[in-house]
Amino acid sequence: MLVVERRHLLGGSAVTEELYPGFKFSVCSYVVSLFRPSIIRDLELPRHGMEILPLETAFTPLPGDRGLCRWADAERSRREISRFSARDAEIYPEFSLTMTRAAQLVRDVIDSPAPDPLSWDPRELLRLLRLGRKLRSGGSETMHLNLKLLTMSAVDFLDMWFESDVLKAPMSVSGIIGTYQGVRSPGTAYVLLHHYMGEIDGAFRSWGYSKGGTGGVSLACARAAEGFGAEIRTEATVERVQLRNGRATGVVLAGGEEIAARVVVSSCDPRLTFLGLVGEQHLDGEFCRQIRRYKLRGSSGKVNLAVDRLPRFEGRDGTDHLRGDIAIAPGLDYLERAYDDAKYGEFSRRPYINVVIPSLLDPSVAPPGKHIISMFVQYAPYHLKDGPESWPDQREAFGDAVVETLAEYCPGLEESILYRQVLTPWDLEQEYGLSEGNIFQGELSLEQLLFQRPAAGWARYRTPVRRLWMCGSGTHPGGGIMGASGQLAAAALLGSGEL
Amino acid sequence: MSGARDVVVVGGGHNGLTAAAWLARRGRRVVVVERRERLGGLAASEQFHPGYRTAGVLHDTAAVRDWVVAGLELERHGLERRVPPPVLVPATDGPGLLLERDPAAAADELARLAPADVEAYAAYRSFVERVAPALGRLTDRPPPDLFDPGVADLWSLGRSALALRLLGRRRMMELLRAAPSPVADWLDERFAAEPLKAALAAPAVWSTWCGPRSPGTTANLLVAEAAAGRPVAGGAPALVRALEGASRAAGVELRTGAEVERLLLDGPRVTGVRLAGGDEIAAPVVVATCDPRQLFLRLLPPAALTGRLGRDVANYRVRGTTAKVDLALDGYPELACRPGFEAEEIRTGESLEEQERAFDAVKYRRFSARPVLDVRLPTVESPELAPPGHHVASILVHFAPYELEGGWGEERNEELLEAVLGVLEAYAPRLREQIVGRRVSSPADLERRFALTGGHLHHGEHALDQLAVRPTPECARYSTPYPGLYLGGSGSHPGGGLTCAPGALAAGAVLAE
Repeated sequence: MLVVERRHLLGGSAVTEELYPGFKFSVCSYVVSLFRPSIIRDLELPRHGMEILPLETAFTPLPGDRGLCRWADAERSRREISRFSARDAEIYPEFSLTMTRAAQLVRDVIDSPAPDPLSWDPRELLRLLRLGRKLRSGGSETMHLNLKLLTMSAVDFLDMWFESDVLKAPMSVSGIIGTYQGVRSPGTAYVLLHHYMGEIDGAFRSWGYSKGGTGGVSLACARAAEGFGAEIRTEATVERVQLRNGRATGVVLAGGEEIAARVVVSSCDPRLTFLGLVGEQHLDGEFCRQIRRYKLRGSSGKVNLAVDRLPRFEGRDGTDHLRGDIAIAPGLDYLERAYDDAKYGEFSRRPYINVVIPSLLDPSVAPPGKHIISMFVQYAPYHLKDGPESWPDQREAFGDAVVETLAEYCPGLEESILYRQVLTPWDLEQEYGLSEGNIFQGELSLEQLLFQRPAAGWARYRTPVRRLWMCGSGTHPGGGIMGASGQLAAAALLGSGEL
Repeated sequence: MSGARDVVVVGGGHNGLTAAAWLARRGRRVVVVERRERLGGLAASEQFHPGYRTAGVLHDTAAVRDWVVAGLELERHGLERRVPPPVLVPATDGPGLLLERDPAAAADELARLAPADVEAYAAYRSFVERVAPALGRLTDRPPPDLFDPGVADLWSLGRSALALRLLGRRRMMELLRAAPSPVADWLDERFAAEPLKAALAAPAVWSTWCGPRSPGTTANLLVAEAAAGRPVAGGAPALVRALEGASRAAGVELRTGAEVERLLLDGPRVTGVRLAGGDEIAAPVVVATCDPRQLFLRLLPPAALTGRLGRDVANYRVRGTTAKVDLALDGYPELACRPGFEAEEIRTGESLEEQERAFDAVKYRRFSARPVLDVRLPTVESPELAPPGHHVASILVHFAPYELEGGWGEERNEELLEAVLGVLEAYAPRLREQIVGRRVSSPADLERRFALTGGHLHHGEHALDQLAVRPTPECARYSTPYPGLYLGGSGSHPGGGLTCAPGALAAGAVLAE
């Protein structure tokens, strides 16, 4: 077992890098979401140094107001929400309960391989039937809810429950992370469920920081792998997959070194894997057509700041409200306008920003008294009006727009900045090998999920090239720091008899 | 009074007449009660200016189902079909696109815009033709009960699944991939010519709360394409005449100017209706073809609406986004891009982006300065709607939201008309001076005139969830939790448009009891 990685450090998008002396940035992925508990147990990751610090609050600052903060303490949340709507405050716990129940469905989906509607194999038909039965378990009301969750927009779905824009806006954004859609686009409701998965996974919410930065998760996995005898090489760029008689026999590295293996498993995105590493000439035309039209339009960027003091938000003292996730999402129209900019090839002048300050929970990532502000920013469309290659010219303007946006809520932010890193989708592609800068290695839209991820008939980690397998986020069940694709791919490979 | 009735049909629109005729032909004594003074609902022809008549608010008759026409023998009552006219996507520079449905006939026009699209369009047409029967299985039968399936429902579901499988691997997967996709993405994959994409995308977003980039709109496109047949000669008014003829011939009693005030209930069981003015009509079965909100929130005694149904009805989305403009013209509005050619059907919104931008306005409760228009000139085929040599333009104005900031009113109607004329003038420069009369109907006006909640022409948005279960789980199969009460309008499966399918399927459900 050999792992080859192009960059000088392991982790891909889940890395910790000391970009500025004393500040350890989770450069790309910044929160661990839905990492499968079975992997944590199986690989004994805590023993290898993985530690997740849960995010405790969800804060939405508002201009000229103390904003809305939701806490782990239900009563405290109720009081906060009732400032905006007494009715919403009453319904909020019931909503959480309903969603937690519905999230059961998501867990079933992400913890098993995608069903295959093309197969005539009775076992597959049985799986389909079982999935159908799950959809309607819990009675017709749950089933109707599931149908709505799968097809409705996040906003329409939340409209069925809540009236306050201030509450709906930060709730709706979980539906658009990494998509090229807006909060009012149909199909975005489903992702709301991800926020309620933590409860079922048995942990107190599985959203959190990895201690020492996101790279900690990757390094724990690496240590576990090495413990089982895997060899790991960094700064080893795979140039192509070596083929003989239509089957993969190894890889060729930049520089010409050939590495032979019985099986090659690619965790790159499908476009890079097939059109880059394998090459169209070795693939069937119809399959190539499928891969070419696989949608990977990146839509988000990242701005990381090193600051010499904590940001101060109007009407809020102390640091309690800063210990979780801070959403710059002051209203639904605001979010929708941010999307409109992206649709027509511009970055959002006033974007949605997900701000976290990991140094508050984990002082080890910044020097004493100093902090890291990590901002996930949407929308930053890969396809700018003047083409993606115009991103380097617009990078700093984008960074400025993001900082200005946040500064509207915490005056004085600009003066506190010691260092700023701006990552555009173009940078994500260039530096991290993500085609079109798509953080999920392919859009998570209904037509690219389940048995269609990444292509119809090839959703079980196997590829048209024998002995070449896939295990990245471009396969079922998709992106996020879940580990699920890798786990399911490994299980499928072990079951295939090819090893 | 003509003695006891078996069925009261509420609403004399195309679905109400269809249900009534269907039931009467099978021996039921049926009375139709229509609030307005004339039959036909959204399909009725009305004089909007002295000497000029509309061809209905809904002016597209190509989706009227053949099986309904056959089932009611509408041809014996004068209904004729004709070859669909080509669709013109006009342009301000160049001749635009005149799109024929038949790929061979469309080839020359497409070749001029993008040679590769000739073949792509033929492939598209053949895909649509191949999947149409499988889609027809879903849209033209009563929906199986997904929530509490019996043997028959499982059988029907299984047959639908099998029909999908028998399309073959590629087509089936393409269909499954297409349905949830944004129509813009799906068309971008196939075609190069923007006017072609615009022409095809438009019907997928008309009267929805979606733009071409909204997921799920390809499903609308495919359902519309699969249902598109030959239009009725004489348009919507001719359809109404045939339905009325078939109803009368079958012995249906037709009462206009009869507004239902309340349903009569005995416990949960429906026993008839009470009209405004106090008349009561007793019948063990009531088929309501008004929209579901009207039925449950206005006609049902408030105390009778139970918790879950009340919630589901309140959550049923009926945000209208379409207005209607009727123009009386003293001649054909000559098109600069096609001098001398009299197009019957014109679609504006030259590009997907233009359509998307028009939708954007809806999100912020405004209408676009450049609305997307579905323009028909019914007088090209039916000159009798206007004085000799004159014409009427029937314009559905899309992305004019019912929920307008500040509300609708005379002034806003005029602003909307200006926007419409602004769009059209670019193609027909003499249009303004040709206008001799006009009527603007905002979604709020449509709501008032036709008792149409949200002014929604389809009695509820066409979105995946509301197509799969229409309008609510308890009422998705025409019957309701109130014994004897049935739904049979566009708010029921398979939805809105001049199809006559909900009315006929509802009648089938009544007969099956």
